[in-house]
Amino acid sequence: MVFNQACRFSAIVLAATAFAGLLFARSMPSWLAILTVTVLVFAILQTFGWPSGNTVLSGLPNAPSVWNSLLIGAFVLFLLDLTMISRELLPAGIHFLVVLLNVKLMTLHDRRDYRHLYAISLMAILASAALTTDVWYVSIFVFYLLAVVWSLLLHHLTSGPPSANPARAQVSPRATWFITNRFFWLTNGIAVLTFLFTLVIFFILPRISVGVLQKPSGEGLRTTGFSERVDLGMIGSVKEDRQIVMRVELPDQADAGKERFYLRGLAYDQYNGRSWSSGSRHRRSLGGIADGVFAVRSGANRNGYGLSEPLRQDILLEALDTSVLFAAPFAEYVSGDFIGIHVDSMTGLHLPYTSSSRIRYSVVSREHRLSSEDRTAAELEYASAIRDRYLQLPEGSDQVRDLARHVTVSAVTPHERITAVLTHLLSGYQYSLDAETTTSLHPIDDFLFRRKTGYCEHYATAMVIMLRTLGVPARLVTGFLATEWNEFGGYYTVRQRDAHAWVEVFYPHAGWITLDPTPTAASIPSPSMWEGFQRLGESIRLHWDRAFIRYSARDQLAVIHTLREGSDSARDAVSRWTVALGAAALQLMRTFVGQVQTPPPVMTWALLLASVIALSALMLAVRHRWAPGHFTRGMPVKRQQQIVQHYRSMLRIAARRGIRIAPSTTPTELMQHVRRSWSEAESAVVELTALYCRARFGNSSLSGEELLRAVDHIRALQRLARASQ
Amino acid sequence: MNVPKPFHAIQDNIARVIKGKAQVIEMAVVCLVARGHLLLEDVPGVGKTTLAHSLARSLDCSFKRIQFTSDLLPSDIVGVSIFNRQHQAFEFVPGPIFANIVLADEINRTTPKTQSSLLEAMSEAQVSVDNQTHSLKQPFMVIATQNPAEYHGTFPLPESQLDRFLMRLRIGYPSLEEERKVLNRPYALHPADSLAPVLTAQDVLELQRRIEEVHMDESVCEYLLAIVHATRQSELLSLGVSTRGALALNNASKALALVRGREYCLPDDVKELAPIVLSHRVMLSRAQGMRAQSFEQAERIVLDIVETIPVPV
Repeated sequence: MVFNQACRFSAIVLAATAFAGLLFARSMPSWLAILTVTVLVFAILQTFGWPSGNTVLSGLPNAPSVWNSLLIGAFVLFLLDLTMISRELLPAGIHFLVVLLNVKLMTLHDRRDYRHLYAISLMAILASAALTTDVWYVSIFVFYLLAVVWSLLLHHLTSGPPSANPARAQVSPRATWFITNRFFWLTNGIAVLTFLFTLVIFFILPRISVGVLQKPSGEGLRTTGFSERVDLGMIGSVKEDRQIVMRVELPDQADAGKERFYLRGLAYDQYNGRSWSSGSRHRRSLGGIADGVFAVRSGANRNGYGLSEPLRQDILLEALDTSVLFAAPFAEYVSGDFIGIHVDSMTGLHLPYTSSSRIRYSVVSREHRLSSEDRTAAELEYASAIRDRYLQLPEGSDQVRDLARHVTVSAVTPHERITAVLTHLLSGYQYSLDAETTTSLHPIDDFLFRRKTGYCEHYATAMVIMLRTLGVPARLVTGFLATEWNEFGGYYTVRQRDAHAWVEVFYPHAGWITLDPTPTAASIPSPSMWEGFQRLGESIRLHWDRAFIRYSARDQLAVIHTLREGSDSARDAVSRWTVALGAAALQLMRTFVGQVQTPPPVMTWALLLASVIALSALMLAVRHRWAPGHFTRGMPVKRQQQIVQHYRSMLRIAARRGIRIAPSTTPTELMQHVRRSWSEAESAVVELTALYCRARFGNSSLSGEELLRAVDHIRALQRLARASQ
Repeated sequence: MNVPKPFHAIQDNIARVIKGKAQVIEMAVVCLVARGHLLLEDVPGVGKTTLAHSLARSLDCSFKRIQFTSDLLPSDIVGVSIFNRQHQAFEFVPGPIFANIVLADEINRTTPKTQSSLLEAMSEAQVSVDNQTHSLKQPFMVIATQNPAEYHGTFPLPESQLDRFLMRLRIGYPSLEEERKVLNRPYALHPADSLAPVLTAQDVLELQRRIEEVHMDESVCEYLLAIVHATRQSELLSLGVSTRGALALNNASKALALVRGREYCLPDDVKELAPIVLSHRVMLSRAQGMRAQSFEQAERIVLDIVETIPVPV
C-alpha cells in the first residue's frame, strides 16, 4: 500500500472507530447508523480503487457548493433535532457530528478535509467517552489510539514541505512510498508504546494533587509541638519559620480577618518539670453521620451551658509530619474526604494516618461560654476524674505555689483567682524568643523567678502549674494562632511561626475555657508593599489549587449539571418559539388547504424511509457525477511503483556494502560507483536501475514479469551482500 | 544504452574526425537538437573549428564560416542591399548568416556592434535590413568559438549575450593515444572534407520537433528548479540563473534524453548538463577572483551547487 492510500485508509478507520464508539454508547437512529456504515464501506472501497476508471472530470466546480448546502441542511436538521426530536443537546449534537462525519467522508480529497475528519473523530470519541463508563470502551479507545498514531504519522509523512504555493505544498515525494513491513511494525510499536506510556503516567500520577512530584520524599512539613511528648522550648525553634502550614477560610463570618483566632491542635495534661505529655493514649474512632461528615462531640459533653455561635472553618492543610487535624475550639462536626477520624480524650482530632498530600476539610466549632454561675461561685466542685487528671504537679513546685498564693491573695472566688494569675503573667513578664530554656533543669522556675522572659510555652506552662497549685484543673494546648489575613483570597494564612501554646481551664458548668496568658507579641510586622504582593501571589496559588488541581469528577458533574440546566432553558425558549411559529404556519396552511388530515404513522415512516433512500441515492449520484477524480487523485495504485521500493532497498544494500551514496547521487552515478567497487553486483544493479528509471521517471508501466525480475535482482543483491560479509 | 540511428550516425561521423571527444560531440548534437547555439571556448588548436566543420559536414545543410576580426561590420554578417542597375532596384545580397550552420570563429575579436548583430539574429532567427525582414534558414545553429587565453584586443561578450548560447563547451587536449591517431592521419586532406552527410535538414527539424514528446517527470522538474534556485541563493554567485537559463536546461535535458534514446528525462540528464548549460549564465561574486579563471571557476561552483541538491528517489 502506498503512503497516500494508507493515509486515506487510516483516516477512514479512525472515523469508523469513533463512529463505533458513538454507536455502542448510545442507540443512534438506525437509519443514521446504516447510512454511516454505507458511507464508510463506500469510502473504503473508494480507497482501494473501486469503482475504477473514474479518473475523468476532476474539475469538480459544483461540488463544494453542493456539499455546503448539504451541510447547511444538516445544521437546520440539527436545530430541529435539538428543539423538536431528541430535545437534548448531547444526542442532537451527536447526530449532527455523525452527519458531518459522513459529509467529510464523502468529500475527502484535500489535506484540510483530512484534518477536519481527525477533529470530528476526536469530538466523536470524546462524546462517546462522556456517554459511557463501560469496559468495551477501552477496546474502542485502544483501537482509536492506534488509528490516531497511524493517521497522524501518515498525514505528516505525506504532507510536503511548507511552500508559498498551497497547491504545491500538498504533494510530497513520500506520498508514493510504500508501507513496508518495517514501517508497519514501527508504527504499531509507536502506538503501543504511546499507550503504555499513558498507562504508566496514569498510574504514577493518578491525581496531580497527590503531590508525588511536589514532595518527592513523601514526607510532610516538619512541625513541632504535636507529638506525644512536647519538650518545653520546642515552639521557640520554629518562631522564625515562614513556611505555610494551612489556610483557613471562615465562610460564614462577614467580618473575618479582623481578629485572630485559635486553631487547636493537641492538649497535654502531664508535666514532669521539663516536658508535657498526655496521660491517656486512648483514642475513640468517630462514626460518620453522613458521607464524609463526622460528629466529634458526644452528647454527654453537651451540657447545654452557653455555647458560642457555630463557627465554620474551611481548612486547606499542607502535608505535615503529624496526623493531627487543627480546628478552632471545640470542633463539633468535621467533614472531608476522610476514611475515618479519631479523637483523643482531650478532644484532639487525628487522622488515622499521616497524610502525604494537602487535605481540605471543614469544621464547625462552638466554643464554651463562661456561665455566670462559674464566675460567681465561691467554691467550684470538680468531678473526681477531672481532679485526678488535671491537678498533677511536677516535683519541686513549692516556689510556684507560693507565688500563686501571693498573686491571688486578694482574690475571693476561683474565677477571680484564675483572672489574677492570668493578669500577673500578662503584665509581669517580658515576651522574648531568646529564652534558652531547653538547657535549663527547671525552665518554669527560671522563667518565673530569674529570667522573667519567655514565650508562649513558658507563659502557658507557668499558668497551668500555678492554677494547679491553687487546685484549679487546667491543661496546656498547642496549636496555631492565626493572625495573618490574606485580603485578596479572603483567608487566614497560617505559618510555622504561628505555632502557639495556651491554656484551657476547666469550669464545672461551662467546661473547658480557653485562656491565653501570653502577651501579644510586640513585633507585629508592619504591612509593606512586598508583603501585599506576596499575599496576592499566595491567593493566586490557592485559586489555582482549587480550580484546577483539585478539579474532580464531582466538580465536573456539577459543571455538566449547570450546563445542562442552562441548555434546557435555552432549548425550551427555542422550542416555544418554533412551536409558536409552527402553529402560525399550520394555521396559514389550513386556510389554504382547508382541511389537513394527519397521515397515519405507517405512512410517516414510509415517507421518512423513502426520503432517506432518496437522499443517499442523491449523495451517491452527486459523487459519481462530480467527484470521481478527486477520490483517486494522487494515489495511483500502480504496481510498478513497487520498483521504487526495490530501488530503495538496493540503495540500502549498496550503502551497507560501503558504496558512498549521497543524496545527490543520480541512478547513473550509482551504477558507476557499483561498477568500480562492487563489480559482481553490476548486472543486477544495472538492470534494476534501468527498470526503476523507466517506471519512476518515464511515464510507462512495468509488466509483472519485469517486477518479478526486479525482486529476483534484489534477492541476488542480498545474497551477494551477505556472502561478502 | 541504445542510441537511435540518426544520432548514432552523426556522432560516429564526427568521431571519425575528432578523436576521443565523444562527450563533446554528444553535447554538440544535443545542442543542435535542442535548437540551441553553441559556444566553444578553449585554447587555439584543440579542434574547435574542426568540430563545427565536421558537424556541418555531417548534415546535408549549408555551412558558412565567418572569421571575426576587429574591422568586421554587421553588414558583413547579415548581408547588404545593393542597387541593381538592370532591375533599377535595390537587391538584398544575403550575408554568410543565411546558412544552416554558421561558424563564428573568434567571436570576441570583433566589436560589440558586430557581435550584437549576430546575437540578435541568433535569438530571433531573422534579420532586418532596410525595413525588410528576412527569415533565416531552418535549422539554424551558430557555433561560436573564442579563445580564453588571450585578452589583448578582444571584446568579451557581456553576460546578457552569453545567455543566448545554450551551452558553453570546452574541448580540452586529447589523450596521448588519441593524439597519436591524429598525427598518423594523412596530412594532405582536411579530415572534415572527407565526411559524407548522414542527415538532411528535414531530418534535423524532425528530431527537433520530437523534443516535445520527451516526458519530464514532475520530480525531475522539481529537481531542475531546485538547482536553478540554489544558484540564485548561492553566496558565491552575484547573479544566478535566469528563467531563460532554466528553460534552456529543461530543453537541453529533454534533448539529451532523446539523443540517448530515451523518451523521458532522468535526473542524470539535468545533473550532467547543469555545468555546461548554466555556468556561463551566472556571475561570480567579487570574491571569486578575476575573469581570467572565471570559466573553470564558474563551472566548479555550479558543480558544487548541484552536488548539494538531493536527487529525487
